Formats: sequence, structure tokens, C-alpha cells
Amino acid sequence: MADPRPRDEKELDREARGLGGALKALIVETRSVMPAAGATGLSLVLVVAAMCFLASLALGAALSVGRTSSDWARELSAALTVEVKPVDEVPQEAQVEAALKLLGETPGVLSVRALTKADTEALLEPWLGKGNVTDDLPLPRLIDIRIDGHAPPDFDALAKRLVEVAPGAVLDTHRQWQAELVRAARSAQWLAYAVLAVVATTTIAIVTFATRAGLQANREVVEVLHLIGARDRFIAAEVQRHFLHLGLRGGLIGLALSVATFVVLGWYGHAASTFLVPVSGLRLEYYPALAGVPLIAALVAVVTARMTVLRTLHRLL
Amino acid sequence: MIRFENVGMRYGMGPEILRDVSFHLAPGSLHFLTGPSGAGKTSLLKLMFLASRPSRGLITMFGRDIATLPRADLPDLRRRVGVVFQEFRLLDHLTTYENVALPLKIQGRPEESYRADVKELLAWVGLGERMTAKPPTLSGGEKQRAAIARAVVAQPDLLLADEPTGNVDPEMGKRLLRLFIELNRLGTSVLIATHDHALVEAAGAPELMLKNGRLTIRG
Repeated sequence: MADPRPRDEKELDREARGLGGALKALIVETRSVMPAAGATGLSLVLVVAAMCFLASLALGAALSVGRTSSDWARELSAALTVEVKPVDEVPQEAQVEAALKLLGETPGVLSVRALTKADTEALLEPWLGKGNVTDDLPLPRLIDIRIDGHAPPDFDALAKRLVEVAPGAVLDTHRQWQAELVRAARSAQWLAYAVLAVVATTTIAIVTFATRAGLQANREVVEVLHLIGARDRFIAAEVQRHFLHLGLRGGLIGLALSVATFVVLGWYGHAASTFLVPVSGLRLEYYPALAGVPLIAALVAVVTARMTVLRTLHRLL
Repeated sequence: MIRFENVGMRYGMGPEILRDVSFHLAPGSLHFLTGPSGAGKTSLLKLMFLASRPSRGLITMFGRDIATLPRADLPDLRRRVGVVFQEFRLLDHLTTYENVALPLKIQGRPEESYRADVKELLAWVGLGERMTAKPPTLSGGEKQRAAIARAVVAQPDLLLADEPTGNVDPEMGKRLLRLFIELNRLGTSVLIATHDHALVEAAGAPELMLKNGRLTIRG
């Protein structure tokens, strides 16, 4: 006798063999005891896709900002500046010489370079303009120092000894800048994580609502299954399978859109400083983290649907 | 097998639909449940297929008091009861074959283990050619037979049928009755709720009569 199942189901059976088939079975929904789409068709896939897109953007932004801020912090902490102000007792040149000598002997200092008067004038040019204005001003001299980030010198001791040899010398460790940058970056990162949390909560709320609507629309089916002896977990499994497919499909669409967004930002971001922070797309090593978003979306959808179904069924005898 | 003792039932704070109902269905028995519309036949059946709990009284099914039964144990009892619902309640998105195989599928049995049995049963109730049809395309009689096939496919100990001949012509009614009697001969206890007196007389089986929520037994 002929197999009574519909043709498409038999085809799905055949396709289910092999890895490609296994992947396809995850994305393409097979026939279920519960009506497949019901109240939760394409529109819900699109909502999940949008949520995953936002979540991927927020996650990518959080990772990138974290990386950029640590880059900045590292660059700044490897550089120190000594500012030598003119004082009455010792000539400025002698102070600079003494400071250079001391710095050269200090362990942990990799290189020392005193900025010439011309360098200092070039730095001030945007504010004071060209000309001989600076001739009459008591300009401090700057010494640029590169230190070994892994074995830095003792800053407090160095500052004290500098003042001893050069009374007008002030050691600027850029710590204030660093702290402010790191604080700003942390805030941005927390903001991104907050967006992630809001997106996740919204997704849970939407899936809960959709599951309830789906159960309501298929109330007759649920009741019949219940009365012919189906256990709650059987019905929940049927419903959550639907949400697994839905979450994965929506998640993959959202992932694709966010990857495209980061790639486009990578192309155009270098040239145009679109944001305050120079955006240069997403580093390659962060893309696998984005791939986790659809999986988590599917997991959230499945767990939420399951809990909603079990809660709803518990109201039946 | 099924024992009701002084069972009363009301919906919410409404009046009692069933009052002091007591009876016993022995294994392998055939009974009719009769009474005018609104007498409480469907409510009594609901108690028997565990869709409702009684407001008072004792119901024992297969030796277990359903008042003290944990919710998780109810599916096992429901699987021992086959139900032919008044309005069939076939699932429209599934084929006739899938509808009939549903009680076996929910037991978690692999399809290979029951495919042949389900086909045989479908052929026996005259739906061999309609296996891939979906319920909306079936006639009233075909739906009725599909619903009966679904109720008996898992070989229940008790078969409950609510107005099984209400939607079919008298000739089909007689054929369905023969089907129930045949099932009863094979060992299944059968309770048929009907207000078709011709059917009751044709079978000559004991009759549980409900009137204003009270039950009397004849025969």
C-alpha cells in the first residue's frame, strides 16, 4: 500500500539524511501536530530578526568600544610628558639637560626626547598663529618619554627626583586623561549592554505573547491533544519546536543584516569619521561572538515558549 | 471499572447539573446514556474522560480515586479511555491517517510500529481510500468514522461516544451501532450517549437515564 503521508513529508525524510539535511531540518520547519504558523508566522520572524539585528549591533558596539578604550589606555600609559617651566633660579636649558640626564638613567624608561622650541611653537600654532608671538612668552619646554609598559618606573619617586634636579619640572603621567577615557568608554559599553538587556526582555515578552496567542488560536487542538492523553511536555515540545525554527530563522536574518552593517561601516568608516569615535567596522575576532546571537535568540524563544505552554496547560485539569 | 458514588457537579457557583449520580460500569459492558437535551449527559461524559472534576462525591476509574490522583497521572488514565466527541473534534490541519494515529503518536511510539495497524483500522471503518484527505473534505459520516477510529486505535478499556449518530442518517446510525457492538464483543466497555430511542431499542442494552441531573438505571 502506498505511503499515506503527503509527498513533501517524504521528501523531508530523505533530505534529513546527512549534515546538510540536518542543518536544513533546523531552519525549515517540518510538519507538526500543532498547526505550524497559526498566529505566529512571518511577522514574528521579522520581529525576531529585528531584535537580533539590534542585539548584534549592541554586542558589536560593546566589544569594539571595549577594545578601543583599552587600546587608548595602553598607548597613553606607555607615554609620559615632562613639562619644564621657566624658573628664576636655574636657566631652562640647564633644567632640561638635568631632566634628560636623570630620565636617561632611570630604569623602565625606553626613550627620551626633548621637544625643541620649534616643535613647541608648531604645537601652539593653531591657537597663537604664525609669527613671533611666542618669542615674548615664557613657554614651558616639553620632554616626551616612552616607558616600558610592563616594568614602568615609580612615577611618584621619579616626579620627586625631577623636581630636585629641575625645580620647574612637572611629570604628567596622562593618568587623568586615561581615567576619563576609560570612564567614557565604560559608560558606552554599559549603554550597549543595557540595550542588549532591553532587546532580550522585549524578545521574551513578544515570544510569550505570541505563544499565548498561538495557544489561544489553537485552543481546540491543545484541548483535543490534552483529552486524548497527551502529556504537557509533549504539547510543549510541539510548540517549542516551532519557536526553535522561528528563533533560528529570525536570528540568522538579523545576524546577516548586522554583519552587512559592520562590513559597510568597515569600508566607509575609515574615510568618514561618522561618530565621535573613529568607527572601523568590527574586528574579525568578534564575528564569532555575533554568531552566538541567533543561537541565544532561538534558546530564549524555546525556553519562553515552553514555560508559557506549561503554565497555560496547568490551568487545564 | 468505573464507579460513581453520589457524584454532584456544578459549574462555578451555578446550579447543580448532576445530583447524587451513582452507577458502576463493569469491564466489557455496553450501556446507553439517555435523557433530554440539557439533562447533563455531556457533563457526565466530561467527568468520565477527565475533562472536569466533580463538585462532590466519589469517582473511581480503573481502581483509582480521581480526586486524589496527581495531575501528572491523569494522561495515563485518559489513554485508557477512547472518546468520540459529539462534534468529532478532528484536527483540520492533519490528514485522516494522522488524526487516527494521533493517540499512538502522543504515546511516543515510532511510526513504523503502528503504521500498518492504523491503515488496517482505517480500511475496517471504510476510510482506506480517504487516508490522505483532511477532515474539512470528509463527509459527516466519514468524519464520524474517523473520530471512532481515533477513539479505538489505542485499544482503550472504555469507549465513550457522545451522540455518535446525531449527525448521520438512520442507515449510517445502524452501521455505527454495529461497529460499537463489535468493539464491545472484542472486550471494550462501551457507553453511548444518545437521545435516539430507536438505537437503544435496537441494541437492547442497559440504559442510564438522566433527567434533571438525576440518574436512573433501566435494564
